[in-house]
Amino acid sequence: MIFLLSLLLAADRPVIDLSGGRVQAYPLAMARPLGAQDAAVAVQSVLGQDFERSGLFKLLDPASFLASPNEPLDKPEYPRWQAVGAQALVKVSCEGGAEIRCDMRLYDVARGQELMHGTYSAPKQVQRQIAHRFGDDVVRFFTQEPGVFQTRIAYVRETEAGKQIVVADWDGANATALTGASINLLPAWTPDGRTIAFTSFRDGSGAHIFTVDVATKQVKPLVLMGDFATGACYAPDGLKFLFSSSLDDNTDIYVSQADGSAGRRLTDARGIDISASYSPDGKRFAFVSERAGSPQIYSMAADGTDVRRLTFQGNYNQEPAWSPKGDLIAFSGRDEHRVFDLYTVAVDTGKVTRLTQNQGTNEKPSWAPNGRYILFSSTRGGRRQLYVMQPDGSNQRAVTSEHQGASDPAWGPLPNGK
Amino acid sequence: MSESIHKSVLSLKSRTPLSRAAALAVGLHVVAFFAAFFLPRLFDKPPPLRKPIIAHMVALGRPRDPRLLPRRDSPPPAAATPSVMSKPSVNASPSAPAAPKKREPTRQELMQRALARAAGKAVTETKEEPDPERAGSPQGSAEGTAQTAEEGDAYFTAVHDAILENYVVPSVISERERLYLSASVLAYIGAQGQILKHEFQKKSGNKFFDDALELAIQRSKLPPPPADLAKSLRDSGVVLNFRP
Repeated sequence: MIFLLSLLLAADRPVIDLSGGRVQAYPLAMARPLGAQDAAVAVQSVLGQDFERSGLFKLLDPASFLASPNEPLDKPEYPRWQAVGAQALVKVSCEGGAEIRCDMRLYDVARGQELMHGTYSAPKQVQRQIAHRFGDDVVRFFTQEPGVFQTRIAYVRETEAGKQIVVADWDGANATALTGASINLLPAWTPDGRTIAFTSFRDGSGAHIFTVDVATKQVKPLVLMGDFATGACYAPDGLKFLFSSSLDDNTDIYVSQADGSAGRRLTDARGIDISASYSPDGKRFAFVSERAGSPQIYSMAADGTDVRRLTFQGNYNQEPAWSPKGDLIAFSGRDEHRVFDLYTVAVDTGKVTRLTQNQGTNEKPSWAPNGRYILFSSTRGGRRQLYVMQPDGSNQRAVTSEHQGASDPAWGPLPNGK
Repeated sequence: MSESIHKSVLSLKSRTPLSRAAALAVGLHVVAFFAAFFLPRLFDKPPPLRKPIIAHMVALGRPRDPRLLPRRDSPPPAAATPSVMSKPSVNASPSAPAAPKKREPTRQELMQRALARAAGKAVTETKEEPDPERAGSPQGSAEGTAQTAEEGDAYFTAVHDAILENYVVPSVISERERLYLSASVLAYIGAQGQILKHEFQKKSGNKFFDDALELAIQRSKLPPPPADLAKSLRDSGVVLNFRP
């Protein structure tokens, strides 16, 4: 009877449906670092930049902190951190020397409990890695997804002598040239992150594809087919790769074994087919084709069958990049003002969403391996540089500040593939 | 024969109290059921089911050629230079005059503000004069689709808007997980609009999402309910169904 009554009462309750809450960065406080100040401040500075750049966390202003600057590492005064609006708290203490060793902790301020802690160490020259590793652990703790703070990016550095392939940390730090400065373009990582394929005019007989070993900088030819072979894209399993080549007076997409052997043409339509990008499962790839009169984004099964046109808006769409989550393809498109900007097209629905606008020319999208960010080049600041943003176009931040400019970004894989 | 009569009488005697009890029990249940169903309506008529109103609004602008690439609704924020840790600011001088204490708004003012906010959103969000032909209520929400007060209620709209203002989804929840999260909270509202108590009827299973809902409910300032809803909202509450 009571059950019946409660049911009847419940049935009469008004119901309010709420959706569309504002997505907001998680308020996080970073306490004053403890221990060896040189190392601790440096590590915490990198960590703070990682957190801010990620768009996941909102760093609270240290000037507002109420807790004592000398608060012990393991005894946060939670009410004082709650009072300044912190929901999470990071505390860092480092010991200096040739080897930097940091004790790093994450606290849940609302519940007053430690969420994770660890001791991270690295040689002083690469102490940034300490911040990146702890940062990735924090991101994984919150999102259950891998962070990208330890990943590397490749790009083309413009120099007065030409264009060279460069690798750098995800935030643009530690940039290192892998090649000399001839005309080197379109870097593409192998899935194991050890090698980068790139297009080069270095042999003086047209454009061909070469590889460079990231550790040893040793360059080897990969595809010397015809006088134009460009735009390598490795399959997720790393066993084969796609590229474009001009044989028979037409530019088509080819697939080849990872060592460059057994090349086979996949497209045979009239007009240019170029810029292939594998789907995350390797079963399909996106590419640009002029078969309908203007460059548009298409997809095709990996064996060259089942072609589908994906974009129908605009008359010049190029540079597709399939997201690691598989749902979106980023591309650059020329709008009615003849400016290139970045867009995504939903693979299932074909819905096109604009990501950049009124900020120079924006091109060459490349996804982070966790699918949470897009790296791209932009002329918004004058010279072309690299920027990163979230897939909805928010949180756009500069990555490089190369003297002569930077272009053709390619985001590397997760370290150890995880 | 006599034996059978005897048996029959005996058997009647043994069954009569049980049958009566059973009949009585059934009768009482029927009466209680009808009482449970009708009595609350006689003595305390509950408010009709009212829903806040949610709509997809049409943006201000001209129709765009579908063959063109789309525009963004608003330009993205300017790209920031590589970020640096914020520097501590100079503390305010102790001799600086204290800011005057903010006066707590009255119940009437809170109600008016909530209603004004609901009406005002139409101006700020659509950035155009409301369609003079649009059917609705002067106290409706910019997000509303209902045309009459029977479909949407001004008070629940104000509650919806007030909570939505504080409804923040933490960015640490992945987009994928956001697709599946939902939670229900039963909230009891006092005569002053204060939330007397609340309880999760269904948690989402994501700690950060549930914490965010707790915060939203704690921070929301609701207008006092109108007289005809006050008792029901105090005693029976209102169910808040959250999705990201």
